Amino acid sequence: MKKLKKVILFFVLFIVLLWACSIGIQAVVRTAQGAVSGRSRVFASVSAEKKNTIDVLVAGDSESYTSVSPMDLWDQTGIAAYDCGQPGQRIQETYYMLKTAFKTQSPKLVLFETNTMFRDPGLLKNVQLSLTEPLAYHFPVIKYHNAWKALFDGSGGLKTSYKGFEIRNKIVSYEGDEEYMKETKDKTAIPEVVRVYMEKIKKLCEKNGADLLLVSAPSPKNYNYKKHNALEEYARENKLPYVDLNMKYRDIGIDWKRDSYDKGDHLNISGARKVTAYIGKYLTDNYSLPDRRDEDGWQEWKEMAKEYFEELNTKLQQ
Amino acid sequence: MTYQSLVYGFAFLPLYLAAYQLAPRKWRGRVLLGSSYLFFWSLSGSLIIYLLGTTVFVHCIGIWLEWLKSEQKTALASAQRSEKKKIKSAYQSRSRHVLAFGVLMLIGILAYLKYYNFFAENVTGIFGNILPFTLEEKKILMPVGISFYTLQAVGYMADVYWGKIRAEENLEKTALFLAFFPQIMEGPICRWQDTGGTLFEGKPLELNNLTDGYIRIFWGLFKKKVIADRMSIGVDAIFGNYTSYSGAMTAFAAVAYTVQLYMEFSGCMDIIIGSGQLFGVKLPENFRQPFCAQSAAEFWRRWHITLGTWFKTYIFYPVSMSGPVKKWNQYGRKHFGKYVTMLGTSAMALFPVWLCNGLWHGARWSYIFYGMYYFTLILLGIVVVPLRDRILGIFHVSPGAGGLKYIRIAKTWAIIFVGELFFRADGLRAGLHMFGSMFRDFHISDLWNGGIMNLGMSRADLLAIAAGCVVVAAVGAVKERGIDIRKSLAQKPVFLRWGLYYALLLAVVVIAAYGDGYQAVDMIYAGF
Amino acid sequence: MEKLMNILMEIDDSIDYENEKALIDDRLLDSFGVITLVSELEDAFDIDIEASEMTPENFNSAGSIYKMIQRLQEN
Repeated sequence: MKKLKKVILFFVLFIVLLWACSIGIQAVVRTAQGAVSGRSRVFASVSAEKKNTIDVLVAGDSESYTSVSPMDLWDQTGIAAYDCGQPGQRIQETYYMLKTAFKTQSPKLVLFETNTMFRDPGLLKNVQLSLTEPLAYHFPVIKYHNAWKALFDGSGGLKTSYKGFEIRNKIVSYEGDEEYMKETKDKTAIPEVVRVYMEKIKKLCEKNGADLLLVSAPSPKNYNYKKHNALEEYARENKLPYVDLNMKYRDIGIDWKRDSYDKGDHLNISGARKVTAYIGKYLTDNYSLPDRRDEDGWQEWKEMAKEYFEELNTKLQQ
Repeated sequence: MTYQSLVYGFAFLPLYLAAYQLAPRKWRGRVLLGSSYLFFWSLSGSLIIYLLGTTVFVHCIGIWLEWLKSEQKTALASAQRSEKKKIKSAYQSRSRHVLAFGVLMLIGILAYLKYYNFFAENVTGIFGNILPFTLEEKKILMPVGISFYTLQAVGYMADVYWGKIRAEENLEKTALFLAFFPQIMEGPICRWQDTGGTLFEGKPLELNNLTDGYIRIFWGLFKKKVIADRMSIGVDAIFGNYTSYSGAMTAFAAVAYTVQLYMEFSGCMDIIIGSGQLFGVKLPENFRQPFCAQSAAEFWRRWHITLGTWFKTYIFYPVSMSGPVKKWNQYGRKHFGKYVTMLGTSAMALFPVWLCNGLWHGARWSYIFYGMYYFTLILLGIVVVPLRDRILGIFHVSPGAGGLKYIRIAKTWAIIFVGELFFRADGLRAGLHMFGSMFRDFHISDLWNGGIMNLGMSRADLLAIAAGCVVVAAVGAVKERGIDIRKSLAQKPVFLRWGLYYALLLAVVVIAAYGDGYQAVDMIYAGF
Repeated sequence: MEKLMNILMEIDDSIDYENEKALIDDRLLDSFGVITLVSELEDAFDIDIEASEMTPENFNSAGSIYKMIQRLQEN
């Protein structure tokens, strides 16, 4: 019994230790830009944003942050949005990403790009993610553990990120079938793990007073009518608004010759700006989100927008 | 799932432990067996049929052998003295046939799964134009761990045949002996005497075993995740593109791969043996400070020990005590003297051992070369003993002199590094090319003029590797002095002990190569 | 026993066979030494030593080797 008490004490102390390290590493991550690179970078950068300065969170995998440009949205509508997607994001990561963001931000809308909803890495990986993601959320030292390397390696050349968005000006046309949304009655299955976590995400948004909007970004590589049907049905059953931009890419003005970054997988800057313009209009029509452009205390955004358009101009002239 | 994964250590193991502890004592063995099959199935799916088949087969052979023994006894009891010898040899030959059947069957399956394509490819390559048929290459799926459990199964049958152990009558026990989940993927290769008895005892969990087991698991994670997985980045870079690296970098690759392989394999062993300990099962050790070895032969008594022991018990001794070798021994000593006779015997007994050792790792010419490399070196080691003693005698140095030890260790390191270079190289041709490059353009300055820094390992990675190696070497040095680290730690004040444990745990959490920029690296030996 | 001692001394005369109890475990006799020893024993005592006898317990001391010889002679 005495030994058991000792073991328990050992663990309690260890948890305290982990917690202390987590606080320490979070402080480092917030102040030292570039200490965290790779997939965890966005977790660190969204935590480093000034409190309550994000009105729209754009979540999802790479389809999300290659389609919505917060600086264009800001310029056109004054909506303060932040891209917090990760490459190949899994649904567990989406959930804990949002939880992390809600710690310091109180967005009114979560715009969730739906491609993540068809990703099923298999049972083992799901079990693992369901273990590691909460652990990493409660003990950020796990999420940011590689930050110590910056001490020796320097911060490394990180690309400038405009509220989670990078300017990708490469063009690799999509040469495939433009009619990739062929009508059918079939549906792609949404994995069970996604349904479970979507439920959690819905509750989380509700609790934090944020609306949840499902959006499918235009991508012939990732979308088809079967997925459209599945999402349509899912949104109806769960009473969520759903916008499939693949059905409307002509209205948006997407030209697959010029607007694709990599053969119809992701959009490049030109495609992203078109989609952003469309989404901006959709948001102003359907939600009453504040226009922050004339408010005080948003100087940082204005400056960033200026930088963004400068970089945009030099890149587009190349 | 692999042993170093989080799911294994912190979901799978706790679940199994709970199920084990909650089960009534006589059911605990079955819980372990069920867990093991679940584990195996999660790795290999329906290929579990091979394991089940082998289990039933081996079990029956064991009982058959045992039955022949008892038959022999009854026959002998009622027999006349004059007939006894005849009866004995009759039964002996029957037993031998049963054993041969069992061994050939198991080795046959292994050989088919593992070597068929190699065989087909080489036959077609050599005789392709002469043969009226062609041997097509097939896509063969191998169940995980077959190289390991087959050896255990063969050892079991031989031990029953020799009368070292009695055949197990309970099929479940035989099954668990072969399938125990911590060791199924990459050993240690157990003999029945090691685990056969204890696995099914259903001993209750003990706190001491749990804490010691988990500390050992973390120690293994440290070796694997802090050092080996980092090193693999640089190692893969050089071996994957070996023609563009100079001699110095190739030498670095040989050393780096040796370090990676040791940290990875012995680290996984720590996790495996630690896992066994959680359940109160003592698995045999597979490593004993191999880099303290003073000769190639000694290295193999300290590296992958259970494989070496298996080859010694079931190949080396049987061959060296077989008829032809014994005859040579008698004949040789009469005609050629002791020295030559001993060399001949050694060569005859060692050749099959090292051929099998090479082949066991896989069907590749480079593995066969690897086996022959050690065969040659170990035989050479025996050849030069008289010469060495004579030279040392001239200089009045005794063979046991202290300074010589370090020269021998250095020599053994060189042997190990070159061996692992061939072992890792992508085929024999690549190995020979890499080996040759060390003599063609060796400029030591290549290492720091951008060489090592351009392999994808950052300064911080190299630092972590170096620091990790220092820690592992220090622990090894203490163990080499015969000190039981855990026992001596137990006598130290609690803050020191806990401090060390916390340091280990935090090192695994913070420094380990996982997350951004690192890919999970598969276990190397699970591929053999 | 004397015959055995002579054979042992011939293989390696630097070992104190009277008192040594871990010839194999402490690697005073390596596997080649054991093989040489086995063939000498087979000749000298007219016995047949099989691979199954190759255990440390049988070869760890002069006493245990002697016991093994006696056992095999009885068979």
